[in-house]
Amino acid sequence: MSCASGLQADCEALLSSFQETDNVRFEVFSGLWRDRRFHTIFHGQTRPLEKNKFTQKVLDLAWRYFLPPYTFQIRVGALYLLYGLYSTQLCKPKQKIRIALKEWLEVQRFQQDLINAQHYDAAYIFRKLRLDKAFHFTAMPRLLCFRTKKKVRETELKEEFKELSNRVSKLITNDVLEEMMNVHDHYQKMKCLISTDGSQPDKALSLIKDEFVINIKNMILEYQQWQQDKMKSSSKAKDSDEMTDKREGGTSQDSEGSERANALAKIKYKSYNAVAEASKSRRHRQVKLESSESGSDQGKMKTPRCKRSRERSQLTQKRNSLETKDRRQAIKKEAVTRNRRMPVIAEENSSEEDLPCPKRKRTR
Amino acid sequence: MAGSSGGASGAVPEYEVPELHTRVFHVGSFGALWKRSLPGAELAVQGAAAEDGAAAVAEELGCGLETAAELRAVCSIDMLKSPDKEEDPEIISEDSSLVTLRIRKKALERREETIIVDRTCRQETFTYEMESHAIGKRPKDPADLIEEGELFLTLNIFYPVIFQKHKDHKPYQTVLVLGSQKLTELRDSISCVSDLQMGGEFSSHPDQAPEHISKDLYKSAFFYFEGIFYNDRRHSECRDLSRTIIEWSESHDRGYGNLQTAKMEDYTFNDLSIKVGFPYLFCHQGDCEHIIIITDIRLVHQDDCLDRTLYPLQIKKHWLWTRKCFVCKMYTARWVTNEDSLAPEDPCFFCDVCFRMLHYDAEGNKLGEFLAYPYVDPGTFN
Repeated sequence: MSCASGLQADCEALLSSFQETDNVRFEVFSGLWRDRRFHTIFHGQTRPLEKNKFTQKVLDLAWRYFLPPYTFQIRVGALYLLYGLYSTQLCKPKQKIRIALKEWLEVQRFQQDLINAQHYDAAYIFRKLRLDKAFHFTAMPRLLCFRTKKKVRETELKEEFKELSNRVSKLITNDVLEEMMNVHDHYQKMKCLISTDGSQPDKALSLIKDEFVINIKNMILEYQQWQQDKMKSSSKAKDSDEMTDKREGGTSQDSEGSERANALAKIKYKSYNAVAEASKSRRHRQVKLESSESGSDQGKMKTPRCKRSRERSQLTQKRNSLETKDRRQAIKKEAVTRNRRMPVIAEENSSEEDLPCPKRKRTR
Repeated sequence: MAGSSGGASGAVPEYEVPELHTRVFHVGSFGALWKRSLPGAELAVQGAAAEDGAAAVAEELGCGLETAAELRAVCSIDMLKSPDKEEDPEIISEDSSLVTLRIRKKALERREETIIVDRTCRQETFTYEMESHAIGKRPKDPADLIEEGELFLTLNIFYPVIFQKHKDHKPYQTVLVLGSQKLTELRDSISCVSDLQMGGEFSSHPDQAPEHISKDLYKSAFFYFEGIFYNDRRHSECRDLSRTIIEWSESHDRGYGNLQTAKMEDYTFNDLSIKVGFPYLFCHQGDCEHIIIITDIRLVHQDDCLDRTLYPLQIKKHWLWTRKCFVCKMYTARWVTNEDSLAPEDPCFFCDVCFRMLHYDAEGNKLGEFLAYPYVDPGTFN
């Protein structure tokens, strides 16, 4: 697990426990923050460049939760998170939060919503960030360098934080219902006018049910209720799934999209699970078992998870160990070549001035 | 924010290709839009801290004075700090539940095991110092203070070297320029070895070499942004380098549309219409071509370097390998010789001292047969 995904896991854990409280008060958030001692996320970095980069990364990540399509509660949580991260960072001068011009309208609307709904703590904190000049007002959210940098794959942020995208309620809003009611009334009156009776339309003209607008409204409400129930039960089911599956550890609610990734991770886990003992002559090169998921602790990793996997792992032990070794070496080699980024210009006369970055064999 | 909708919407940068580059927008009007959207206090670059009294809070949020005072206590940053113990930010505590910290701790332990010398890599120190050397600087003369609402453009200027080893990672320098600066100010600040080249063979009179630097001989240059060539015409001897290209494009209707020319000295960055993240071109010395990418534009911030005279400000440069003298193996090469009867190889590189010591006697007479050319190392600007 890379540093970035660890960061995301931490932020999402904090935000989802904030979401569970069903509350947008800063007191609640700061309690959760203190429980986790979240400010220590900046600890353990001694090099200033590393510090700056990390801070930029975490601010950028938190900022993404602050914008739609995330639910109101998550966005408030993200605001608090940004405030906490910005204020507790160890960089000097402080790293800034980037706002792109196209996001500004949305941000202002959000601020107005906060004030209108009298969420004074959130509004106060946003105001304070602005007073502290915590923002860089930019053209785009990130620096753009065309194709000159290696592409960083955008990780999907947690689905559960998003506003329920509900096409039905988007289509049929209060306004639409009201309009429909008016049209219907008008229609009814017209029918009365052309009818012989005058106060009641003719039977022949009665082609539509009278309460259809109300019926539609009820159906929609029913549908929304059903959708909410479904969401709740599915997330509950997932929770209980994970209770049995301790290994997943840190992440409490995985989104549906990551199910495949989880399945893959399980397979990988199984195959990295066992290590063959090296022969006597190669004992000094015994492959050490190291978890690929740095999140879980080592002791747990060594005991195979269930009987079946143990059997399987014994069968495939030999091959796996070889594979593992190969792969580990490949990774090492890669790391070595990547680290050797010393600039060299020896193209025209490489003969006499040998390239100072030959594929040096790693001596160990 | 009624102003931003409608007519000015063309100045709001949007992606043309997601994560790669934006549509064309006018830099000046983009800056104006930001300025219009923000209250003056937020634009200000001078340090007067805005008043944070309960009254101001109450007025702005529309709540009572008591609430405002209470907010201040409730939302204080101290609420986020654990009261129990003082801790060293360089040490990761043992009992942390944060995934990030566990990963970092593991990485640090691995580093501990494998590291030979425990210090920050000097490349990294160099990068950091380049980035931060000007931060927070203020001008001596208040007239040089950058005004509020000024735009900062971050430009990556690539070196024209096409070495095999740079196949995947092209070296570049990063400079900050101000929106109100002229294109010529950037042009003058770009340092490139091709400007320092000296043409000719100087074995019989080595002292005359420095008088013939290309920079003084060939002054033409152009920037290319969005279909317009901005030519440097400040000097009478400047030629229109773009003419050949335009003629070539027009001669066979090659589908490049209307290429135009303009004078570099007449334009500031605020006058340009550009795409952020899109590769453009700077060309000088006839064919020394530098790709230029504008990676970012933003408003000036009070923590930035506010001394106008320091811009264009270089905040990153690539550390190029230098070629050393063949004799002392210590100093950067200044001379290269061909067909040299005194040298073991051809071509052979020398620093100035070793070159003269080996090739000339005490009176300055040439010894042996050789051709000598002044050599400018790409690492000169390191």
